[in-house]
Amino acid sequence: MGQLTLKKVQKFYGTYEVLKRIELEVKNGEFVVFVGPSGCGKSTLLRMIAGLDETSAGDILIDGKRVNDLPPVKRGIAMVFQSYALYPHMTVFENIAFPLRVEKMPEERLKAKVEHAARILHLGERLQQKPGMLSGGQRQRVAIGRAIVREPKIFLFDEPLSNLDAALRADMRIELAKLHRQLKATMIYVTHDQVEAMTMADRIVVLNAGEIAQTGAPLELYHKPANVFVAGFIGHPRMNFLPVTCKGASDAGIEIDFLGQTALIPVHPRAGMVGATLTLGIRPEHIAIGSGDLSLTITPSVVERLGANTVAYASLGEDSENYCAMLPGTVALRTDEPVKTGIRAADCHLFDQNGMAFERRVDMTDIDMALFDPAA
Amino acid sequence: MSQPAMINRYRWYELIGIYAGIFLFLSFILAPFVEGFLVSLKPLSLLFSSPYRFWPENGSFEAYRTMWVSVPGFARYIFNSFLISTVVTVVVLLLVVPSAYAFARFKFRGSAALLAAFLAVNMFSGAVLLIPLFRLMRSLGVLNTYFAMIVPGVAFLIPSAIWLLRTYMMRIPRELDEAALVDGASHIYTLCRVILPIAMPGIAVVAITTFIGSYAQQFIFALTFNSKTEYMPLPIGLYAYFGRQEVVWNELMAASFVGIAPAVIVIFYLQRYLVSGLTAGAVKQ
Repeated sequence: MGQLTLKKVQKFYGTYEVLKRIELEVKNGEFVVFVGPSGCGKSTLLRMIAGLDETSAGDILIDGKRVNDLPPVKRGIAMVFQSYALYPHMTVFENIAFPLRVEKMPEERLKAKVEHAARILHLGERLQQKPGMLSGGQRQRVAIGRAIVREPKIFLFDEPLSNLDAALRADMRIELAKLHRQLKATMIYVTHDQVEAMTMADRIVVLNAGEIAQTGAPLELYHKPANVFVAGFIGHPRMNFLPVTCKGASDAGIEIDFLGQTALIPVHPRAGMVGATLTLGIRPEHIAIGSGDLSLTITPSVVERLGANTVAYASLGEDSENYCAMLPGTVALRTDEPVKTGIRAADCHLFDQNGMAFERRVDMTDIDMALFDPAA
Repeated sequence: MSQPAMINRYRWYELIGIYAGIFLFLSFILAPFVEGFLVSLKPLSLLFSSPYRFWPENGSFEAYRTMWVSVPGFARYIFNSFLISTVVTVVVLLLVVPSAYAFARFKFRGSAALLAAFLAVNMFSGAVLLIPLFRLMRSLGVLNTYFAMIVPGVAFLIPSAIWLLRTYMMRIPRELDEAALVDGASHIYTLCRVILPIAMPGIAVVAITTFIGSYAQQFIFALTFNSKTEYMPLPIGLYAYFGRQEVVWNELMAASFVGIAPAVIVIFYLQRYLVSGLTAGAVKQ
């Protein structure tokens, strides 16, 4: 079992509150990814779960048992560090065997366990080498091997792939996902890379400035971000935000006005919004050439041709951020030549003055069967 | 053909300048050794001949034989020096390794003050404290023992050793300690199995400097705290060649070279541990 509960977990550095009353429930066998910009507290939270950093207030429970005051090894966790943290003077075998040597496990069982872990991680031929002779990916696998042999209830990963190059990272992502299926263990994974988060997670926890901005399945965060932060953080290129005025609200959605054009955005409305300034969010990949429910003529200042896609960046005004459109790679676009683009109202996100989203009328079961809960 | 990196390329006149500088300084440092060695080869009569000749004419290694005869206790002096320095080095290492680890890794109240205090101790030379130390030794009744020469030696060598090793240990990535902690290792276990092997080059440096330091400083402690001939270390023992009438220079020089030999051997041995790159592959730099 590897079930984790965080109850009002807080962390102070002096008087500065790094983590603000974090509440989280991680189910046994779940792959949960903490993601957020640097300095959001995600690594600190992981280190608190590991027992490397002190918890200032609140409770950390593993399988229902409060572990705040237990040392890491008694918590039933294993951790893989960003920098691998291998012991350079020991062979791969001894590195993987280290936790078992600490336990004083009999030599025969130890050997069997290390070899089993090495088989899973394809390290069999490297067992007698020193870490210095291995490539980055192999080193990271040794670090994972050291975690596996202890058979922990919960695996903790602290940005384990961020030191690898892009190609290797993609490979290791797949291997980690396989490993999770194979071990069926609870895994908590910290990253600042949303691709890693989106591809591996059962559930993503987006952290911003020490608070959980949103928790949800990857596609849930993509289609129904709870606030402007998550909307901007998940998805690449970043979502575009446009200021609009609320004209009216009905059961069908909210009618907005954008530069004289009106459109009905299908979201769950709230009362008293008429006349307020709202924020309309549209993902670059949902912008198309031609007219839509809302049309916008843009003059690209930079055009990036990626092959599959062509990304156009245009300025909508003096101080505004770049307006970004991701178009099919076949579109003939030129810088400084105006082009008419359109967006569908159904693709739009709408946020109130506080940056909180109006829930979109999107049926998630249509998008991802895995999210379909038969009990509901 | 391997070309040196661009930053290591010099023009011909720069090279001449560099080598001229090296030659100048090296000759200042090495000339006394060369002269000492040449003196040890000469018969005593030739030393006072005029005009003085640097090159030994009918030079021989005779002095290297007669030195053992004219000062029969000389082997003992070498042994004493060696013993004192070895014990000092071992004791310093035993004390300094854990404390340097503690200073490098743990935050505890007063650690900065303690480190500063150690540095301050280093500013007093042993000579300033000789008289209080003498009184202390006398009331403890340990004058004229090895103990009297070893303990002050250890005390004066600890501060710089701690500073040296602490700096080295701070360069060992903290993640290694954390990984060991997560794997259930105690601090002692981590120190012995993880930190010590990686810190070996740093420990070797400390061992060498401590050994040399102890060899050099025993003179003053031996002169003050010991009057027994059998406990005399080498630097005092050399005085035996200062006779009533004359100084037996050639034997004195020969004895100096022979006396240094064990220390040189130890240092060469310790040098094997001065390999760099021991942390390769530990963490991604």
